[in-house]
Amino acid sequence: MTANAPDPSDSALPPPIRRTMRFLLNDRPVFLDRVAPDDTLLDFLRIEKRLTGTKEGCAEGDCGACTVLLGTLDAQGRLHYRSANACIVLMGMIDGAHIVTVEHLSPRGGPLHPIQQAMVDHHGSQCGFCTPGFVMSLYGLLMRQPTPDRLAVERALQGNLCRCTGYAPIVRAALSVAALSGTDDPVLAERPTVTKRLAEWRDGSRLEVSGHEAASGNAEPGGATILPSDVPYEGDVSESEGASDNRILRPASVADLARLFEDNPAGRIVAGATDVGLWVTKFMRDVGPLIPIGHLDELRGVEESDGALRIGANVSYTDALDALAERIPAFAPLLWRIGGNQIRNMGTIGGNIANGSPIGDMPPPLIALGAMLHLRKGDARRDLPLEDFFIEYGKQDRWDGEFVEALSVPLPSPDAKIAFHKISKRRDEDITACLGAFHLMLTDDGTVDTIRIAYGGMAGVPKRASAVEKALIGRPWTEDAVESALAAFEEDFTPLSDMRASADYRMLVARNLLRRFFADTQDDPIQTEAAQ
Amino acid sequence: MNDIIKGKWIGKPLDRVDGPLKVSGAATYAAEHDIDAAIGFIVEATIAKGTIASIETANAEAAKGVIAVLTYENAPKMAPWGDGADDRFEQSHGVLVDGTIRHYGQPVALVIAETLEQARHAASLVAVTYDEQAPALGVDRADSELAEGLDGGFEPTNRRGDFDRAWAESDLTVDLNYTTPHMIPAAMEPHSAIAEWDGERLTVRNSLQVIASGVACLANTFGIDEENIRVLSPYIGGGFGSKLGQHYDTILAAAGAKKLNRPVKVVQTRRNLFHAGPHRARIEQRIRLGATRDGTLKAVNFETWSTQAIGYFYTEGPMASAASAYRCDALHWTGKTRQANETLNDSMRAPGEALGGVTFEAAIDELAEKVGMDPLEFRLKNEPTEDPASGKPFATRDLVECMKRGADEFGWADRPKEPRSRREGRKLIGYGMASAIRGNMMQEGSCRIDLSAGGHLTVKMDMTDIGTGTYTILTQIAAEALGLHPDDITVDLADSDNPATAGSGGSFGAGTSGSALWNACIALREKLARAGGFNIDPDEIDFDEGTMQAGDRAVALADVLKDSDGFSAEGSIKPGEEHEDYVQNSYGAHFCEVAVDMDSCEIEVRRFVSVFSAGRILNRKTAHSQCLGGLVWGIGGAIREELWMDERTGGYVNRDLAEYHVAVNRDVPKCDIIFLENPDPKSNPIGTKGIGELALCGAGGAVVNAIYNATGKRVYDLPVTLDKLL
Ligand SMILES: Cc1cc2nc3c(=O)[nH]c(=O)nc-3n(C[C@@H](O)[C@@H](O)[C@H](O)COP(=O)(O)OP(=O)(O)OC[C@H]3O[C@@H](n4cnc5c(N)ncnc54)[C@H](O)[C@@H]3O)c2cc1C
Ligand code: FES
Ligand code: FES
Repeated sequence: MTANAPDPSDSALPPPIRRTMRFLLNDRPVFLDRVAPDDTLLDFLRIEKRLTGTKEGCAEGDCGACTVLLGTLDAQGRLHYRSANACIVLMGMIDGAHIVTVEHLSPRGGPLHPIQQAMVDHHGSQCGFCTPGFVMSLYGLLMRQPTPDRLAVERALQGNLCRCTGYAPIVRAALSVAALSGTDDPVLAERPTVTKRLAEWRDGSRLEVSGHEAASGNAEPGGATILPSDVPYEGDVSESEGASDNRILRPASVADLARLFEDNPAGRIVAGATDVGLWVTKFMRDVGPLIPIGHLDELRGVEESDGALRIGANVSYTDALDALAERIPAFAPLLWRIGGNQIRNMGTIGGNIANGSPIGDMPPPLIALGAMLHLRKGDARRDLPLEDFFIEYGKQDRWDGEFVEALSVPLPSPDAKIAFHKISKRRDEDITACLGAFHLMLTDDGTVDTIRIAYGGMAGVPKRASAVEKALIGRPWTEDAVESALAAFEEDFTPLSDMRASADYRMLVARNLLRRFFADTQDDPIQTEAAQ
Repeated sequence: MNDIIKGKWIGKPLDRVDGPLKVSGAATYAAEHDIDAAIGFIVEATIAKGTIASIETANAEAAKGVIAVLTYENAPKMAPWGDGADDRFEQSHGVLVDGTIRHYGQPVALVIAETLEQARHAASLVAVTYDEQAPALGVDRADSELAEGLDGGFEPTNRRGDFDRAWAESDLTVDLNYTTPHMIPAAMEPHSAIAEWDGERLTVRNSLQVIASGVACLANTFGIDEENIRVLSPYIGGGFGSKLGQHYDTILAAAGAKKLNRPVKVVQTRRNLFHAGPHRARIEQRIRLGATRDGTLKAVNFETWSTQAIGYFYTEGPMASAASAYRCDALHWTGKTRQANETLNDSMRAPGEALGGVTFEAAIDELAEKVGMDPLEFRLKNEPTEDPASGKPFATRDLVECMKRGADEFGWADRPKEPRSRREGRKLIGYGMASAIRGNMMQEGSCRIDLSAGGHLTVKMDMTDIGTGTYTILTQIAAEALGLHPDDITVDLADSDNPATAGSGGSFGAGTSGSALWNACIALREKLARAGGFNIDPDEIDFDEGTMQAGDRAVALADVLKDSDGFSAEGSIKPGEEHEDYVQNSYGAHFCEVAVDMDSCEIEVRRFVSVFSAGRILNRKTAHSQCLGGLVWGIGGAIREELWMDERTGGYVNRDLAEYHVAVNRDVPKCDIIFLENPDPKSNPIGTKGIGELALCGAGGAVVNAIYNATGKRVYDLPVTLDKLL
């Protein structure tokens, strides 16, 4: 919070209401009175503003052609920029932010920005359609990490597809760019002005705007049958009935959110929109009234107390790479397999859980670690073990008007052996076919004291392998024990076949992942060291 | 050999001339022209075969912002699909002509509104019912007939030598059945068009690889003269075959604009494009090979069965990979197909060899193993002296050189000799190789150049740049021929008002348009030489740095130009007799290493060494990028890309880029790309050969052979995804 903004969460009264949305677009402020819940940033840029440098390749967050930077202030008032897929950023989410598009990097006819020049020099652009997206992804990287190494570059490009170049020239271009400075970079140069402007806009008000009539529908054109694949990362399918409610209700604080959501239980919370955005662009679903919460810093904290990490619902995958993976290193490789930087910057852990998908990547590890979920409705709060939240496919234990506030992860013992293995058809930028999460404690004599195993992709919900756990507990942690426990998988799971994997493959891989976990614990360097 | 080319500009790694525009987002793609257009949104058929029983548009028409809803009941008159020409790119692509549905996703209505949101919303209000019929879907060997012809100019059958005898004389044989899946080019720019009419005159801005046939298509569809049509595609966000012809975006935009008498824009959504855009067909392939014990290849028989979209005659021929590959006593093939209610099956990058380069090269690998020979040795032993399919001589042939060089650079000698014999931790390591062969085609094309009095050259033709670098290499060719600096040259492409070429496709673009330009430059040199008072063969004059020089006589171009109205010249090219008398190919060899995870069967392609011989290299940067890009397609095709058809509807289940897996950056291994530079005078005046597709041919073959070497498992149903390796 900046000093001049009163903390609205202390107040029992509703905050003042503002009816004009405002944000910065490149070097200009934008004020809008009419914004609909399903308006996307990409359509606004390309159609409304004719800023066509930002491209549309898929409208589903898959290709990165629409990458822009989103600049926001953190709780301390510091300005941060992150890359995002404009195609699935809903307009209601960007109030008070600074949007930077490729047009802002170099003046028309003027010298190219160093990143752009590097792309020319290294032939990183062929047909050029993906190019502005790559430029912006690299820009987002350089904003966070001025001199990235190859690995960082490759990670920054995970969310961008190019069908022409074979990528290598783009990687070379990225590695050749020197650290940016205020002389060649407009965003660095404007930092103080932008920070000041965004801080002034933080006035503790609630935003209420609504859109044009009937600009949304909830069916596929032509009444197309929804094919099986058309429900990939979707769990929550509660449709709002009847006339669409075209309002955007952007709460001023968590207290205000609690109030708003209790009063508007049909409202659609949106955090990073990496799921909800697709409901709009892919399924043309009605998402009004929209309740954006991604800006609520109170939901973004990570705190340690009483041997547990409390993680706010709004913690993004990128945030988690710092805060969570630092304490529980097994998270790092998994988090780096989620989407690309754009998705990791926007997607939240709260959203991944609330979405309820059986193939979301966060629930199995969190269940294996014994996480508790903190839910809130109005002023009422309740806690439940995360695994109990997932009732069946498409159904979670969440009441109308109730939202996820945070979750607590008990910090595992330093002796615990932990691994999360994600298997997907394409290694990068792909949804899980099968994910195994393992958390093992051995007694001094090498017997299994406790083991928690949870899988994604093996049932209609993220699910524990209770029978397998039972077969292992109390037995020596040996290859024999693991092999004989494998039979118990039949009791725990009857996976389905779909285009990501066949049922047989899933079953076999689920077992092999336990084998892999066992093998890894055998040549664990820490253990070897201890044995010497 | 061409003596004028000294290599001052040709061959240099010049940066793309369109690079600055593209990196700054300022290049104007089809949907981005600043034209105040109404927006059209496509309503798709949800059946594969039948007729529309009723189509209810009142609700959509009443929706806010809607200007019109076009259906077959009220659309402007268009000729029925397929009328007017035999060529599939020139024939009528009429849509909304009647109520007949030929494929899932076929447009049944175009909703036109003021804004995209309005059009999209109203599209959901159009209610269609159908009289559905049982669709013909998928390959059916029993119901197939010989194709009219195979892509690439191949006959549907080939019967060279006595196959039965050669088969009987073989000591070792393989008889293998492969399938390759439906695929989609998935260029990053979705198909888009803005159309406007001025009376009878139609102007279309769209994304099209071949302008001239696209004009013919519009003329045939709308029944207007070609002179009344202008098509412009200055920047194209990738094509890969999917934009060779006019597609629904363009036809519907033109129909809508005609109806409204106002510009209309149609941008196909990615999801729509998976159904209402071109694909590669699924193909069943039977390959029989026989050899004697000493490793002499005796018999080759390659049969394929595929499907065609209704009224769209196109059959891909994977046997192209066998045509020029290895010596044998008998080489037979048969390409069969049938008409099916599938989405448009069409050409996709390196049609034929992209597939045969996997299946045929895998079959060769399997036969070599049976014979007990190193697959490289086996290929070297069966190097032909004449074209196996036709008996004609080769224009050039350096496949052996490519293979030997590649093997050395890669370290092939160190390969795991037995399958599944090398392990690193819980990973299995394998090596694989394959040859790359791609037919080198030339087409007809012409070009006009204008040199202004101020010394600026403008090159005009309807050739396109789909990302390959045409703007750049044409600049280099003109600079080299006329001794100009690239900054003094403007290349104006992709406008149907310019002289016609065959556009971009089949890797013939650079050779064809480059040669037409070259010939125009030669004609201009002659005029300039005469104007400069030279009486000798213009070829003996050195044009450099704006000066013509022969012996000790030097004349500045500026002096010749200053009092003139400028000079113009035209040039054209057509494939010469050398393309009849000789078999023309580009060649290459791929070597690769893979690692396969023992627990999950995840495949990691670790490194590639590829050697290519594709005639003269015009620009090292663009050529390298073309090859790397092609190679990555090879990898993606072998282990990632496949469309899943829903057998009930004929639609595709994975109709988005989340589930249709193109290769991502980290699928790309370390690749060493090496060029053997052998200019080929029999190919064309500038000695180039096709390069855009070569690298894709055989790259997938090397990958699947390496996977076998790693795991001991051969997969015949491509792609090799992890669940198939269990
Ligand atoms: C290209 C792409 C790649 C992806 N890759 C992966 C992947 O590899 N692994 C993976 O697991 N997921 C992946 N996803 C999905 C993943 O990004 C989401 O599940 C993400 O975590 C959701 O967070 P969000 O903040 O974007 O949620 P939103 O889209 O904003 O919301 C999702 C759902 O959660 C609800 N919600 C959000 N926050 C709360 C809250 N605090 N309380 C109550 N309800 C709430 C919303 O109402 C909605 O129902 C991918 C998505 C895309 C587009
Ligand atoms: S358009 Fe493809 S990610 Fe946004
Ligand atoms: S340059 Fe064409 S998609 Fe990347």
